[in-house]
Amino acid sequence: MKRKIGTAMVVGAGISGIRAALDLAEIGYGVTLIDREPHMGGILTQLDYQFPTDRCGMCKMLPLVDRDASSQYCLRKGLFHENIEILLSTEITSVEGEPGHFQIKLRQKPFWIVPELCIGCGLCTEVCPVEVPDEFNAGLGSRKAVYLPVPHAIPNPYVIDMAACTRCGACEERCPTGAIQLSREERKNFRILVVDDELIVRDSLKEWLEDEGFSADMAASGPEALDQLSKETYHLMLLDIKMTGMDGVEVLKQAKAASPDLCVVMMTAYATVETAVEAMKIGALDYLIKPFDPDAMIPMVTKIYENIQTSQTREVEVGAVIFAGGTAYFDPSEGKNPFGYRVYSNVVTSLEFERIMSGTGPCQGQLVRPKDGKPIRKAAWIQCVGSRSLQTDADFCSNICCMYAIKECLVAKEKTKGELDTTIFYMDMRTFGKSFQRYRDKAETEHGVCFERARVHSVIGDEATGDIILHYMDHNGELHDETFDMVILAVGQRPAAGTAELSEMLEIPLNPWGFVQTEAFSLTKTSREGILVGGAFSGLRDISESVTQASAAALSASRVIHAAGGSVTPESASDSPYRDVYREVPDILVVICTCGDRFSEYLDIGELEWQIRTDPAVSRVEFVEQTCTAQGWESLVELVEKHKPNRVLIGACLPYVYARKLRELGERTGLDPSLMEVADMGYLKLDIKNSEPEAQIQFPVSSFQFPLEMGIAKLKRAEPSPVPKIPVYQRAMVVGGGIAGMSAALAIADHGFEVDLVEQTKELGGNLLWLQRTLEGESVRPLLEDVREKVEKHPMVQVHTGTQVIASYGQVGCFYTTVEDEEGAARTLEHGVTILATGGTEAATNAYDYGSNPSVVTQKELEIKLSDKTIDPGELSSVVMIQCVDCREEPRNYCSRVCCASALKHALYLREQHPDIAIYVLYRDIMSYGFTETYFTQARKAGVIFIQYEVAEKPEIVSSGESVQVKAFDPIIGRKVEIEADLVVLATGIVPTLPKPLAAAFGACVDQDGFFQEAESKWRPVDALREGIFACGIAHSPRTVTESVATAEAAAQRSLRILSHKEVPAGKVVAKVRQSLCSLCERCIEACPYGARFLDEEAGAVTVNPVMCQGCGSCATVCPNCASVLEGFPMQQMLDVIDAALQ
Amino acid sequence: MNQPAYQKKDPLEPVQEMVQACIQCGTCTSSCPNEFAMDITPRHMWRMVLMGRKKDIFQSKTFDLCSACYYCTLRCPRGLPLTEAMGRLKQIAARENLPKYKTSVRFYKSFMESVRRHGRVREMEFMTLYFASMKDPILPLKFTPLGIQLMSKRKVSIQIPSKGEGTLDAVFRKVEELEK
Repeated sequence: MKRKIGTAMVVGAGISGIRAALDLAEIGYGVTLIDREPHMGGILTQLDYQFPTDRCGMCKMLPLVDRDASSQYCLRKGLFHENIEILLSTEITSVEGEPGHFQIKLRQKPFWIVPELCIGCGLCTEVCPVEVPDEFNAGLGSRKAVYLPVPHAIPNPYVIDMAACTRCGACEERCPTGAIQLSREERKNFRILVVDDELIVRDSLKEWLEDEGFSADMAASGPEALDQLSKETYHLMLLDIKMTGMDGVEVLKQAKAASPDLCVVMMTAYATVETAVEAMKIGALDYLIKPFDPDAMIPMVTKIYENIQTSQTREVEVGAVIFAGGTAYFDPSEGKNPFGYRVYSNVVTSLEFERIMSGTGPCQGQLVRPKDGKPIRKAAWIQCVGSRSLQTDADFCSNICCMYAIKECLVAKEKTKGELDTTIFYMDMRTFGKSFQRYRDKAETEHGVCFERARVHSVIGDEATGDIILHYMDHNGELHDETFDMVILAVGQRPAAGTAELSEMLEIPLNPWGFVQTEAFSLTKTSREGILVGGAFSGLRDISESVTQASAAALSASRVIHAAGGSVTPESASDSPYRDVYREVPDILVVICTCGDRFSEYLDIGELEWQIRTDPAVSRVEFVEQTCTAQGWESLVELVEKHKPNRVLIGACLPYVYARKLRELGERTGLDPSLMEVADMGYLKLDIKNSEPEAQIQFPVSSFQFPLEMGIAKLKRAEPSPVPKIPVYQRAMVVGGGIAGMSAALAIADHGFEVDLVEQTKELGGNLLWLQRTLEGESVRPLLEDVREKVEKHPMVQVHTGTQVIASYGQVGCFYTTVEDEEGAARTLEHGVTILATGGTEAATNAYDYGSNPSVVTQKELEIKLSDKTIDPGELSSVVMIQCVDCREEPRNYCSRVCCASALKHALYLREQHPDIAIYVLYRDIMSYGFTETYFTQARKAGVIFIQYEVAEKPEIVSSGESVQVKAFDPIIGRKVEIEADLVVLATGIVPTLPKPLAAAFGACVDQDGFFQEAESKWRPVDALREGIFACGIAHSPRTVTESVATAEAAAQRSLRILSHKEVPAGKVVAKVRQSLCSLCERCIEACPYGARFLDEEAGAVTVNPVMCQGCGSCATVCPNCASVLEGFPMQQMLDVIDAALQ
Repeated sequence: MNQPAYQKKDPLEPVQEMVQACIQCGTCTSSCPNEFAMDITPRHMWRMVLMGRKKDIFQSKTFDLCSACYYCTLRCPRGLPLTEAMGRLKQIAARENLPKYKTSVRFYKSFMESVRRHGRVREMEFMTLYFASMKDPILPLKFTPLGIQLMSKRKVSIQIPSKGEGTLDAVFRKVEELEK
């Protein structure tokens, strides 16, 4: 792939960071992806199962076109992409500059273990004497100071936790490859000057510092210190404030004047802390309060040492920065701790429970209590711990907890084969997302999860058994005591650690709850242009929303880079960088890493070479010392350059590490990396390491020979033809001219590609034409006018109003779509991608006397009537709002997400206009998710009365002329209430307006409710399964204006991946059809999950679109004639490999 | 029910304001140690308050039974001053002299009167005041066995009720002012 001129930085390598980075990299920008942790993946490294599939599936986020540019294995294990540079253990220290040209300073913590040399043998952990709680298992287990941050990462080098490490050096001695380099000697070069007028302080400090390996000099007074500073170079000065003669502050001033880079830490008595703080303003780094012990001082000195001496600092210039720093989780032991967390061992957080369920967790996936090993057979989840709680300063709903609690119930039930009893104690079950409601219903009816609408008051531990007794009142007012094996607290979200400091550094505001504040109608833009946020960093998102929003952030970043001159011009224009070896016979160069010459001790190298050479395809066998080091790699490159083989086989450990290196080798030598192979010999090396050092064992040559011969067999039959490509017609079509459609069209057009915007009505605007304002109080009119004007004036956007799509034909890269205007004139438009933004509308109803009684209106009508003043709030005395009319029950069993917010908006507005109106909201579960919760609190405070009802006992309505009487059962007071109302407002929810034939014309599917069926709700939320078709806005799922804009931006971003290339390469592994054998049975067409196969009727042949094909091989397995084959895995090659393995 | 949720000058108004953010989760009820004796639960009570059902509220013993343990206030996820709200209901009942709460209000008032006079309670005086206020000749007889028992163990002694100088007059005056 060609690199664009333009770079971006993504901060945080969790799910949103990865999504944003991949999106930008796929367009062709260079991306620097950093994370402060020593591993990638964020919270998802700890979560094995995700709703709604109850599995993972993260790999579906990997590139679908030009697949070979990135890694193609489990994304939880790791990622590489040729346009992404990943820096771990790295933090951002400053951001300067302007959009398009930010100068960013980074600081990377030292690793102490050379990642390339670490073979993951784990001998270091065996000898490490330090044990600390394991954060990967949420503190449920323990680990050593040298450890694997994530057990499943690839490559997976050990790291040292310097905060815990005692620098005993045992691991350094034990390491068989010399990867651990504690470099204690280097500490000697770190010179510290201690300035204090008390001898005892000087002496003890000297002793402590020298114990840690630092060099320390002493000075008894200010002038003496200045004198020493002028003679020698020091890195750090520990300076007392109160000294006779010259005081510390004066010394600091003079020292800083002489050497501005000197780090100074003030030592102060408690009484003079203020002076120390003042000193920090004139250049001191920090202060220590006397008296202090080594435990307080040494970590500070070590940190300073690591920061200035061993950290690598870097400066990067990028066009835009996306912050995807994720989120933290509420710690229930904070504050009053009513649930006894950390008091009783069997009260755990949801994250701890995820680890208990996990196979890599402390219980190896057995559902037992970590403390006493008792099987968990009865468990309770308590919702809203640290959410919806004013007591913990959380007037918000965390969005994720309801669904993950249900998921945990289902996964745990599956693990125990249904033996587990699960109860969820909740206040409102917030199933507001697409497919959430059905998932919940299924959990209740099919899997027997018990949902108890109650807030648990007391959590009491039974000391004898360790069981937990919950004391609660059910919805009918009955009190219960129930005993559980384990209680799981569904903890809510909190701003990620360091968010406040970051906002200060970047000068971007935070919202009242400490999350990053975004601009109105955007989920990604901060107040500073070019600084964007993705994922849960701006608060309260689940995976699906995070991924959508990360794509939207990538789009905004791309816009900034594009506007600042980062263009679509490719840096390198050469189309095929690789040598054509199609007509050459295989000529294999075998390079074997001798791993620091240790091989020759155990192995007859000559014999091995002779054995390998017996294959005529092998022209040379070479031995190189440590291909993992830069030096070893250079000699390997030289060998390839010298002998110019057309296949290369490397025998080394950790083949995954080589993916990136092979691409680099390909670029340098002109050999296609798909003609290179790494044979894994790592496990053999492990055998050597594990054996007794003195024992003279000889390994049979054959044990080394087999993996190499398998590699040779694979290379011999490797297909040298270039990767297929398809041309792209660089123009997009957006169907639907609402806010989502317009936003998507603008986003694409702003990147310099033409867009056809097709709208069936005469006017652009969709639902914004009647919508007045949002719950947050933003007026939508200016947004509509602004966007509409931009769209209409944009030279790259062709607006077709009053036009309908009649038919479409084609696939990604080239669609031919026929549209018809009002006069019936048809035209055919050509485009490379399609975005469906056909929107939705309020559902019609005839429930609750709607239509026959004029006092019964819908929420939409109320909004319109309030704005055109046909309803005067002053004339109303009592209003009843009924939520979930005809929805959240079959056949429309989904939450429309906006109705509760509308009800709150109107209730608050009516109360504000006329404080004496009595307002009653009849609801099932109030879906005031996220920060909307605060408006629910406000509505309560404003005196709106909320009455919960059950589907089985819906409210009734009795019309009598103008007035209406609503009867409903109030479960709190346990009896029916009758409300005289002069206005009844129905929330009927949203139905999509995506005609099935329209979706089918483009090859997209609709779900059972008529919404666009996405490829994967979490990992590919705006894509159709067929490449090249995307959806956004309400056509996708019910959404607010802001959320619709975010999906539109995400869809635009996904389109730009394809549009920004004239030709899109497929992957090396694609299916093809041997036409001579094909009997046109079409079984493969049905089997293809990506819709990449179709019957070309003109040619009478089944054809494969190579870009849409993902190389899964389903077609090859169903084909009765072996006509369908997978290139990259031909049968003969596979059989040869098996033969080599079994000989 | 078609009345506005609250009207001006309604004595319930300050109580309504206290519990307005209530989401009826029921934590208060499950926490209440006296709930078993109450006719309606605290959660139910707040609902009545919000709906302005004065008649129902002041038919109930619930707030009268609140022992001000503050358990509900401690745990309420909305952070509402529930114990204080119960206290307010007691005050309304006392101020409006509702017959249902006659006994407890008079008991309380007699107690406080004794405290006002002497800075502490004098049991005999307190009970005398209580019997006098109840104007029920049979009532003292009901307490006689208990009284004799207490006296025999010298838990209470006979003292002549006296107006005294009202040691805590200033405090009581201030409280009255504040409560206005």
